[in-house]
Amino acid sequence: MRRRRRVTLLSMIVFTGLLAGLAAAETVYVQATTAKLRAGKTSLDTVVADLKFGEALEVLRKEGGWLEVRTAADVKGWIFANKTTATKPAGGDDFLAKLGKSMRRKEASEVTASAGARGLDKVSEEYAKRVGMTQQDRDAVDRMTAYKLTDQEVEDFLKDGGLGEYAK
Amino acid sequence: MQNKIFDRIISLLIASVLTGAGAGCAELQRVAEGAARVSGNEQLARMIHGGGTLVSGLLPIGYEEEQSIGQAIALQVIARYGGVFEQGDLTRYVNLVGRAVALTCDRPDIAYHFGVLNHDSINAFAAPAGYVFVTRGLLSQIRNEAELAAVLGHEISHVSQKHILAVIQRSKQVAGVTEAGLAYANQNPEAFKGLIDAAVKKLLDEGLDQDKETQADALGDVFAARVGYDPTAYLALLNRLRALKGDDKAFFKTHPDFSARIKAVQKVIDSEGLKPNGMLVSERFARLGKRL
Repeated sequence: MRRRRRVTLLSMIVFTGLLAGLAAAETVYVQATTAKLRAGKTSLDTVVADLKFGEALEVLRKEGGWLEVRTAADVKGWIFANKTTATKPAGGDDFLAKLGKSMRRKEASEVTASAGARGLDKVSEEYAKRVGMTQQDRDAVDRMTAYKLTDQEVEDFLKDGGLGEYAK
Repeated sequence: MQNKIFDRIISLLIASVLTGAGAGCAELQRVAEGAARVSGNEQLARMIHGGGTLVSGLLPIGYEEEQSIGQAIALQVIARYGGVFEQGDLTRYVNLVGRAVALTCDRPDIAYHFGVLNHDSINAFAAPAGYVFVTRGLLSQIRNEAELAAVLGHEISHVSQKHILAVIQRSKQVAGVTEAGLAYANQNPEAFKGLIDAAVKKLLDEGLDQDKETQADALGDVFAARVGYDPTAYLALLNRLRALKGDDKAFFKTHPDFSARIKAVQKVIDSEGLKPNGMLVSERFARLGKRL
C-alpha cells in the first residue's frame, strides 16, 4: 500500500517536472511573410535559413530586439523579434471560415477561379455594372488590385529607411 | 426495423452536420442528403440540405467572398471620394509604407492594396480584403513617414480584425439570409447589393463602433512601432488634427473625438512599452509623400 503511494507520488513529481520542462521551452511563430534566420543578431549577418509564415521556432535566448531560435529542422540562428508572435497566426481563413466555404460548395470555387490578382472578380464586376459604376472607377480598383511590389522591394525600402531589422 | 436503423443513422449524420463535426462536415451533409434521397425520403433530404445551408450562412465569410465584398466597397469609396489620385512615385511610396506595416500586422498573409483618394477632406478608409485608402487632404496634414505608417496601420487593423466583415455578418443574420456569400450573390445580385449598401452606409456615413476605432488606433500604432517607426508620431498627428478641427463630433463623426483617441493611444504606448525613440523618416516623406 505504502509502496503504491510512493510510486504515485513519484509519478506526480515526474509529471510536474515534464510540465515545467514544456513550459520552459518557449515557442514562437513566424508572423511575417518574409523572414530570415541569421547567424548573428544584426541585419548584416549571414542568412542561415529562409523561414516560412507560421513556422514554429523554439526560443533559446533573447537579446535586444532579437531572438536566438532553433527551427524544427534543427537550424539555429537569430530572427528579428518583431517578425514573430506568441500565438500561431490563423492565415487568410480561419477554421470556421473554411468550413463555411466548403459548405457553400462548388459555386464558390467556380468564382474563386476567376478571382485573384487580376482585378475585379465576377461578383464585384456584376455589382459594378448593376450600380452603374464608371469605367474609370472600375479601372482604379483593377489597377489597385493588380499593383505588385516584390518582398525584395519592401526589404530594400526598410533598409533605406533604417527600419525593422535594419535599424541602426 | 430496417427503416428504423436507417432513420437512426440519418439522424446521427444530421446531428454531426449541424454540430459541425469538422472539415468533413460538408461531405457528411452530402452523404446524409444522398442517403435520405435513396431511402425515398425527399422531404428529409431537403431538410438536410437546408440545414447545412443555414449553418453555412451563419459561419464566417471566407477570403474569396471577402475579396468580392472588399472590391465592391472599394468601388463605392472611390466613387464617393473623387477617384484615385494616381501619381507613379506617390502610389509606389504609399504602397511601400503600407506593405512594410502590413508585413508585421496580425494578418500579414493576405494582399494589401493602398490608394490615395483625390479628395480634400481629412480621412482614411479600409475595405475588406486589404483595400486601404487615404485622402489627399489627410496626406497634406502628415509630416513624416511614421505618421503615415500609423494611419495606414489603423486602416490595416480594420482589415486584420475584420471589423467591416463583422457588420456584414451581422446584417446577414438579421436579414435572415440563409445563403450568403458568393453562391448567394450569383443567384441574387440584388441581395448582395443590399449587403454592400448596408456596409457602405456604416463605413462612410455612420461609422464603425467607437471601440473598434479605439482598437484600430492602438493596433495600428503597435504595428507601426514593430516596423521601427516612432509610436509617438501618431500622437503628434492626432494633436495637430485636434488643433485644426477641435473635438467637433460633426467633423469626425465616424470616430471618437481626438482627446479620447490621444488618451487611448498614450495608454497603449505605455502598456505595450513602445519605445519613443523610433524612426520618423521625415526626409523621405518630404521627397515622396508630398507629391500631391
